[in-house]
Amino acid sequence: MIEIIVNGTRTAIPNGLNVKEAVSALEYKGKGFALALNGTFVAVATYETTMVRDNDSIEILAPVQGG
Amino acid sequence: MSKHIETKSDTWEIGGKTLSSRLLIGSALYPSPANMEDAIKISGAQIVTVALRRQAAGNTDAKGGNDFWDIIKSFGIEVLPNTAGSHSAKEAINTARMAREVFGTNWIKLEVIGDQYNLQPDPFETVKAAEVLIKEGFEVFPYTTDDLVVAKRLADVGCKILMPWGSMIGSGKGLMNPDNLIAIRKQFPDLQLVVDAGIGKPSHATQAMELGYDGVLLNSAIALAQDPVKMADAFRVAVEAGRLGYEAGVMQEREFASPSTPTVGTPFWHQFN
Repeated sequence: MIEIIVNGTRTAIPNGLNVKEAVSALEYKGKGFALALNGTFVAVATYETTMVRDNDSIEILAPVQGG
Repeated sequence: MSKHIETKSDTWEIGGKTLSSRLLIGSALYPSPANMEDAIKISGAQIVTVALRRQAAGNTDAKGGNDFWDIIKSFGIEVLPNTAGSHSAKEAINTARMAREVFGTNWIKLEVIGDQYNLQPDPFETVKAAEVLIKEGFEVFPYTTDDLVVAKRLADVGCKILMPWGSMIGSGKGLMNPDNLIAIRKQFPDLQLVVDAGIGKPSHATQAMELGYDGVLLNSAIALAQDPVKMADAFRVAVEAGRLGYEAGVMQEREFASPSTPTVGTPFWHQFN
């Protein structure tokens, strides 16, 4: 297992996962969100080629009200 | 039989779209989702602003917990995501890229805050972010101050739209520096100019439109009114009135009184005063 930070909360996930697998392990489903890894946007098209490593920080954002 | 005469303000183009409403409306701070829906509908706005925030795990699709996004999509109007909460060009650029993927639009309301007290935009980081985003194909709607030189820098990097503030976000103080806004209008006759932030009353929106601005963007003024739905209708009328007034051409101010009633044929009793 490795420890990563998801939306500010430290979380354990299996080692060796790509972003797509990590998102699934974190139980995010559907397409209504976007993701940044260590402060940099990761497009859906590159989820499978982007690996998640120990101490990485993931932000998962979804639509909300805005001005 | 009298002739029916109707006037209507012209349409306008922004971000590649032709629109009839010049009111851009926010989706935040309403007492309830139903109230937001009614207010946005009655405002006649064809652009609504939205944002991105942290999402809890679970199904993020329609019917999976994001009722807000479902409601917004049901309006069938243009969505303008913002980068609110960004304090650097890097944060804003990443938020914009995420917004493009989630909302499926290349429009971005670029907000890079430089001061937490008055939420004043950071001009240096805003210009830096605008340059990168425009190169990536975004249609950038930059939130900026009423500083003419910053406006020039944003235009230099390719912004076709500028959104100077009227006053501080959420303050409701109206147009603090109308002369500055006029200077920007005169300097950039071909850019789309939208007053964004600080509008509190319908008369503020009318004033902005009378200055020749192409639109106004507001949220708090409607959402925080005692009756947001009625206020949304008031702003619809106010924006239309201001635009019609601008198109009609406002009379020149005079330094002296000038009677509107003809002086020729004045009755005799006035002639002895």
